[in-house]
Amino acid sequence: MADTTHIGKILTKCGLFFIFLTAFLGLFWAPTVTGSWKSPEAYRILYWHVPIAWITIISYTFLFVGALSWYSKRKEWGWNLVVVGSELSLIFGLGAIISGTIWGSAEWGVPWDWTDLRLNTFGLLTATSLFLVLARESQPDGMDTRDTLSSIGLFGFALVPITLIATTWYKNRHPGIIIIESEESGLSSEILSLMMMGAVSFIILFIGLSIVSYSTIKLESELQNKQMKFD
Amino acid sequence: MKGEVVALIGENGSGKSTIIESLCGITPLKKGVVHWTTESNIYKVIRDSEGRRNPPPPMGLTLQDSGMCGEETVSERLHTALSVSGLDANEEVIAKLLYDWNLNHRSKSRISQLSGGLKRRLAVLCGLAPVALSDSDRIAILDEPSEGLDLNSKRLLMDWIKTLSSLNNTILISTHDQDIINCANRIIEINNGSISEENGKNMGNKCKIPDFLPRKNQDATFTLIKWAFRMELRNPIDTIGKATPAIVALLLAYTLVGKLELNSDNYDLLAALILAPSFITCIVSPALVSRLIEDGSGKWWNSMVGPMSRPANSISGSSLLLPIPLAYLSCFMLMDISSLELSSEVADNVFLWLWLPSLVMLDLAVAATGIHLLVSDLTRANAAASPLLLVTLAWPFLELTDALSTIMANGMSFELEFQNPLITCLIASLSSAMIWIAAIYIPES
Repeated sequence: MADTTHIGKILTKCGLFFIFLTAFLGLFWAPTVTGSWKSPEAYRILYWHVPIAWITIISYTFLFVGALSWYSKRKEWGWNLVVVGSELSLIFGLGAIISGTIWGSAEWGVPWDWTDLRLNTFGLLTATSLFLVLARESQPDGMDTRDTLSSIGLFGFALVPITLIATTWYKNRHPGIIIIESEESGLSSEILSLMMMGAVSFIILFIGLSIVSYSTIKLESELQNKQMKFD
Repeated sequence: MKGEVVALIGENGSGKSTIIESLCGITPLKKGVVHWTTESNIYKVIRDSEGRRNPPPPMGLTLQDSGMCGEETVSERLHTALSVSGLDANEEVIAKLLYDWNLNHRSKSRISQLSGGLKRRLAVLCGLAPVALSDSDRIAILDEPSEGLDLNSKRLLMDWIKTLSSLNNTILISTHDQDIINCANRIIEINNGSISEENGKNMGNKCKIPDFLPRKNQDATFTLIKWAFRMELRNPIDTIGKATPAIVALLLAYTLVGKLELNSDNYDLLAALILAPSFITCIVSPALVSRLIEDGSGKWWNSMVGPMSRPANSISGSSLLLPIPLAYLSCFMLMDISSLELSSEVADNVFLWLWLPSLVMLDLAVAATGIHLLVSDLTRANAAASPLLLVTLAWPFLELTDALSTIMANGMSFELEFQNPLITCLIASLSSAMIWIAAIYIPES
């Protein structure tokens, strides 16, 4: 356990170093984009935004798999995955939303677009993650709480197709949005390389944080079992 | 076995109450199945680990928490307990039962005004009466019934237990009380997760209990809905709690609209302001949720009504009366002062068709109540941030805003196209219905 936690901490530190390096290179080394961008300099925030968004999706997947596993089979690892997934998806989801709204304000002129599926899905799932993190802190840990929280986790995911339908129908009535596609938007190879570096850095950070978080939960669980024996 | 008194004993936290609640179908099972034999000797699955669930046959139930809402009066509560188990109780029988249990002087008092001991006495009576007054063999489940009872009440409880078992009824009691344990034929002990069994002393004296009551065909779900409306009529905190923020929003909108420069390009804003008070009233947490959380009242109803309790609560607890009048009031106030200078034709059109988006708002209200009920399953539901899950209701609201602004701009149209208000309202209704299904179905399956 101690070795795994140690590895997790090292990976977290490495990840942090590389994401700040990505930010530094993104701000001072990467070229300015060309093409039909309204705010070409604002794109630099995407070196963090895009990898954060990818990692958030992985965190949501953790949350979904964990919730499904606890809900259907009551697997202990499933619950641990719910906890890890909700904490990490909250951190990264907020990161994606904040960086996205900053970029949206500069590029689209509006921070939020109710017709954008990705934005709305991220908003919805991050709100669910925030709910789960707050609720886990405020509720006594027990089967009932875990059942309810995992069903709320699944409820959040059940809303994704509803969001898709609602957004699609709503979108039919409004102009579309700018979608980043590398060829059309004129992204150079330096930009793509740096984007990949950002992605790898965030993956390292994510793995590190997942290991640390998982170890912490297991330790909490051991502590709780020992406390119950004393009770 | 029929006529048996079974005592379930074990240390604090050993799982006695969990077993009791699982047997009643309240707590989901990790594995295994709970099935009961009905009065017509048919096996019925109450709950299993695969997600199947049915309401238990009529029974008596006293939970560890009283399971009673403070708003009810003593006689009403007893009447409800009998009624939900299919017995047609009259005033005379209720008065006799309350007299036997020395509660007659409190029959018109609200439960919230009772002392802890009296409350416990009433909860125990409500657990035993549906069994005592039934002409068929039933089961009474009592969780820590003697907790807080005085000596006379405890003796009465022991005598009733003896009498009911002699009439072939089965009693399951979870307790720490040695006197109650002595009433049992069989004692089941839970110790560190293992179960041991021994014979009991079967002590106690028989006593006289009231005669059987006639049966009536009343659905438990209907009793629950009636109860919810009665509680709201007694103390309309739900209506007030929902109307107050809506009226504040309306007054704010009234102040703002006078200062905004609205024109025909931003009908959306006016439509949103008109519908905002109704939307607010729909998403406020219903008082029913607080009533169900109080002293485990929701658990008791959940057990008695079974899987239908959640959908029934989501409908009876939602704001069904306020959204339409509020939308019209809002429309009347805001359109009068807005700088839009709407033609009388447009204004007539809006007044004529405003009921349509307002009606869909009722779907949205039911979906919001479904979400509040989902959160209320948590032990400390008041400490959970349910508004975070209500975010998703923004889409139906936006659709309705769109529908109303289209009516303002182009009038009502019945053609089946996406741009038309009828279809937009239908989409908003469907979105709300899907959210409701997700909130109601997932925790129950």
